[in-house]
Amino acid sequence: MTGALRRLFYRRHAEMDLDAELRFHLEQSVQDFVASGLSPAEARRRASISFGGLEQVKEECRQAGFEHYIQDFLRDFQFAFRSLSKDRRFALVAVFSLALGIGATTVMFSVLYNVVVDPFPYRDFQHSVVLDLHDLAAPPHDIARYHYTIPEFLAIRDQNHVFEDIVGAYQLDVLYRDEKATRRFQGAYVTANGFSFLGVPPLLGRYFAPDDGKPGAPFVFMMNYQLWRTEFNGNPKILGKTFFLNGKPRTLIGIMPQRFNGYGSNLWIPLDLRPGADGTVFPVKDPDVIWACARLKKGVGLQAAAADVDGILHRMAQANPGELYPPQFRIVVRTLLDFVVGDFSRVLYILLAAVSMLLLIACGNVANLLLARATVREREIAVRASLGAGRGRLMRQLLVESLMLAAAACFAGCFLAYFGLKALVAIIPRGPTADLFHGRIPEETVIGLNPAVLLFALAIAALTTVVCGLAPALHAVRGKLPLRMFGSGKVTGSGFPHGKLRNGLVIAEVALSIVLLTGTGLLMRSFFALTHSEVGFNPAHMLYAWVSTEHSPYETAVKKKLFYEQIVQRVKGLPGVINATISLSTPPLGGAGSEITISGKPPHQHWTSMVDLCSEAYFQTLGVRLLRGRLLSEADIDSTRQVAVINQAFARAYFGSENALGKKVKFNVFDELPDTPHGAYFEVVGVVSDFKNRGLLEPSAPEAFLPHSITGFGDRSILAATSVDPRSLLGGVEREIWSVDPNVAVTHSGSIQDFLSEVAYTKAQFGVIVTSAFAGIGLALALVGIFSVTAYTVALRTHEIGVRVALGAQHSKVIAMVVWQGLRLISVGILIGVLVSLGLTRFLVSQISGVSATDPLTFGAVAILFLAVGLVACFVPARRAAHFDPVVALRYE
Amino acid sequence: MEQEKTEVLKGTLDMLILKVVAFGPIHGYAISQRIQQISGDFFQVPEGSLYPALHRLEDRGWLQAKWEETETGREAKVYALTRKGRKHLKAEIDNWERLSEAVALILRTAG
Repeated sequence: MTGALRRLFYRRHAEMDLDAELRFHLEQSVQDFVASGLSPAEARRRASISFGGLEQVKEECRQAGFEHYIQDFLRDFQFAFRSLSKDRRFALVAVFSLALGIGATTVMFSVLYNVVVDPFPYRDFQHSVVLDLHDLAAPPHDIARYHYTIPEFLAIRDQNHVFEDIVGAYQLDVLYRDEKATRRFQGAYVTANGFSFLGVPPLLGRYFAPDDGKPGAPFVFMMNYQLWRTEFNGNPKILGKTFFLNGKPRTLIGIMPQRFNGYGSNLWIPLDLRPGADGTVFPVKDPDVIWACARLKKGVGLQAAAADVDGILHRMAQANPGELYPPQFRIVVRTLLDFVVGDFSRVLYILLAAVSMLLLIACGNVANLLLARATVREREIAVRASLGAGRGRLMRQLLVESLMLAAAACFAGCFLAYFGLKALVAIIPRGPTADLFHGRIPEETVIGLNPAVLLFALAIAALTTVVCGLAPALHAVRGKLPLRMFGSGKVTGSGFPHGKLRNGLVIAEVALSIVLLTGTGLLMRSFFALTHSEVGFNPAHMLYAWVSTEHSPYETAVKKKLFYEQIVQRVKGLPGVINATISLSTPPLGGAGSEITISGKPPHQHWTSMVDLCSEAYFQTLGVRLLRGRLLSEADIDSTRQVAVINQAFARAYFGSENALGKKVKFNVFDELPDTPHGAYFEVVGVVSDFKNRGLLEPSAPEAFLPHSITGFGDRSILAATSVDPRSLLGGVEREIWSVDPNVAVTHSGSIQDFLSEVAYTKAQFGVIVTSAFAGIGLALALVGIFSVTAYTVALRTHEIGVRVALGAQHSKVIAMVVWQGLRLISVGILIGVLVSLGLTRFLVSQISGVSATDPLTFGAVAILFLAVGLVACFVPARRAAHFDPVVALRYE
Repeated sequence: MEQEKTEVLKGTLDMLILKVVAFGPIHGYAISQRIQQISGDFFQVPEGSLYPALHRLEDRGWLQAKWEETETGREAKVYALTRKGRKHLKAEIDNWERLSEAVALILRTAG
């Protein structure tokens, strides 16, 4: 061992030592032969013969200790470095291909790791679960509700046997009034254990103690980092100060750190579960109140927990049957992670699959390049074999070369991944925990390169070494090595078996690339369908603003009507506003849903319609066409006439061929609302064209438009058609609203385009951008593969082509011959790719809409696109072949 | 026959070398001569096996080598047995004796 180390560091000395020892042996042997009577010359000859190959003996001696492994390795590296730097173009293409593959894979793995393994800063979040109530009559993925009433929550908390702890949270906007105006923040009422449950220490102050929120306890609240920075400049002195929230003084006791977004709010207030406590009136029967998050006891599974809660809620449903419970329901327990990330993790897994294909294409490319090199180097390898290099030694040499490539690619790949991640993080859809728009990445998730990810990149590099280096290396050392020394090293005869493997690799690359392209094509088509679906107006020039009067004294329908009309008048007066209207809904989402009763028809349980409350300018603002009858008039609204305008879908569904005009419809939802005419029938006065009211892709549902003045219940929003970018008008709109009443808050505003991208586009857009990038890189790599194989074949056949040209073959014939060869590979690849895609795209079904998973147009377009660019990749080397000078080509060797 | 001899030699060369070196420090050429002589010309140790074996044994720490002047006044690399080597040789010999006894026993009784 020490000897080996010594030899390693004093290699020259060791070599001389070995040489002297063997020389001594040889000379002794000669002396003995001379002593036995031979002539010195004959003695030397005999001794040499008996000794055998001096170099071989030396080599075997060198290998006696372990140091030779390290020596050989170092030598292999030197050699690989020298031979790669001789062929820079090859090395660059190979490293770049692999770097793209490794970089892209690392980026996707990093996102997946950070989202699925380490998304939250919360304690023990893997065991945190949420409870969904499923209506068994509804489609399996429809969740009836995941909020519970206070009695339900208390029952679950007190009667369960499966949870270690359970938190209830109630999201409620908090209006904060200071000298200037009223602002609205997202707030949450959280049971006092809510923060110890998540286990994130506060940045400043303390979090809720068990007594907070109890009757008689001082009123307190906590604030998130973002609000503290933006509204209070991060001033730590505000801790302990009192603020007026929802008209009540509360003391700030703590500020949470930046990486905390529990309960998706800016402000947290301790929740007292006694109905009506704390001055906040919770609608006790409204199911949409408490969101529950629980931690499973050790060893309790999701199903066991679901069964336990299911029993509790079924007992409650039996005790008070009613609207709260569907006739048949069951409880499903999901992890918090699934609740927040949900469907989005599927997008990530699909992308990881896509990126693995990309990596395979890159490996195929490099394997191909290595194979081509190995063929050219056949003679060199044969010479080295005959000089005593063993098969294993040669293979190791070749593998070291691919290892070097992979190492360089790993380095470059991590570099690419660093920037790739930045770009990706910028477009990734994010959302707060427990928000309306779940199915995206939690805001707390930090996506970046970390040790786990870098380790992964290294593993990928090692894997690519084996994948792309092993086959070429095995190929290079197969058969009787020394014999090949007599070949020219470039004869087609010995190249053929390599040719088959290379062709196979190109076919595989093409097929993988086709799979990537079809997947991307489908996502693009689906996204196109989404963004180009007709909403009936230009969403980029439509402004919306949700106005909350929650804490203002507009109790009566008349007061409310006057208030909103005043706002609309002022907004209409703003420069850049073409028209403005009052509305309940924000298109393309319709108004409230209601069961309906039609006068003269037997009541039907499943007759429903959406109800929108509008002013007379509604139809003009949104550009809705009148088909029959008349629109709502100012007089209808001023005198609160019970009239309705319906859409075509309504007329078709409930009146069919009958004339809808003059029919009377009752909207049952009004029977339960305060300050609303109960039992009223509305006369249909007009029918308008359909426009989207269930999102961008679903066909329009029946909807009725009523004068907004008929009820004093609820808030309205303002819609305005503009001639400029609505975002530039938002400040003006807010000023106009506050000039009417500084106590109201604008809870949401922007252009409908922004609203759409928030609710509909982001996730799809993310998928499209990322897969497009992957598919583009994959296509480029596959083309490089086709190009290099064709160019290489041409180089191998230089001699043959020279003969053909010399014998009078036309340029076009030569080109056709070469192109045809490439085209055959491409066609086979496309065919296989299309077949594989047909099998695989069904996994995309959940992500695409408006287009079938086997859309012939997409498949056809991808095949044609590939054929076209593939032809170019073949044509360039073919043209070069056709212009060989036969004299040069024939001498070429 | 040559083939068989080589096969036998392969398995036992290490032991034979150690045994020869056990008589006293000795250089490589003399080791091969000694093995050939003692075995009555039965074994001829090819240099291609001898020197790798010597280096291997040295690497394991069973032999120790140093350069010394021979009777003829030339420098030669001379191998000597280490303590570890002596222990290993003893173990090897014990093993070999048990093995050959067992083989002999089978040959005697089974015949």
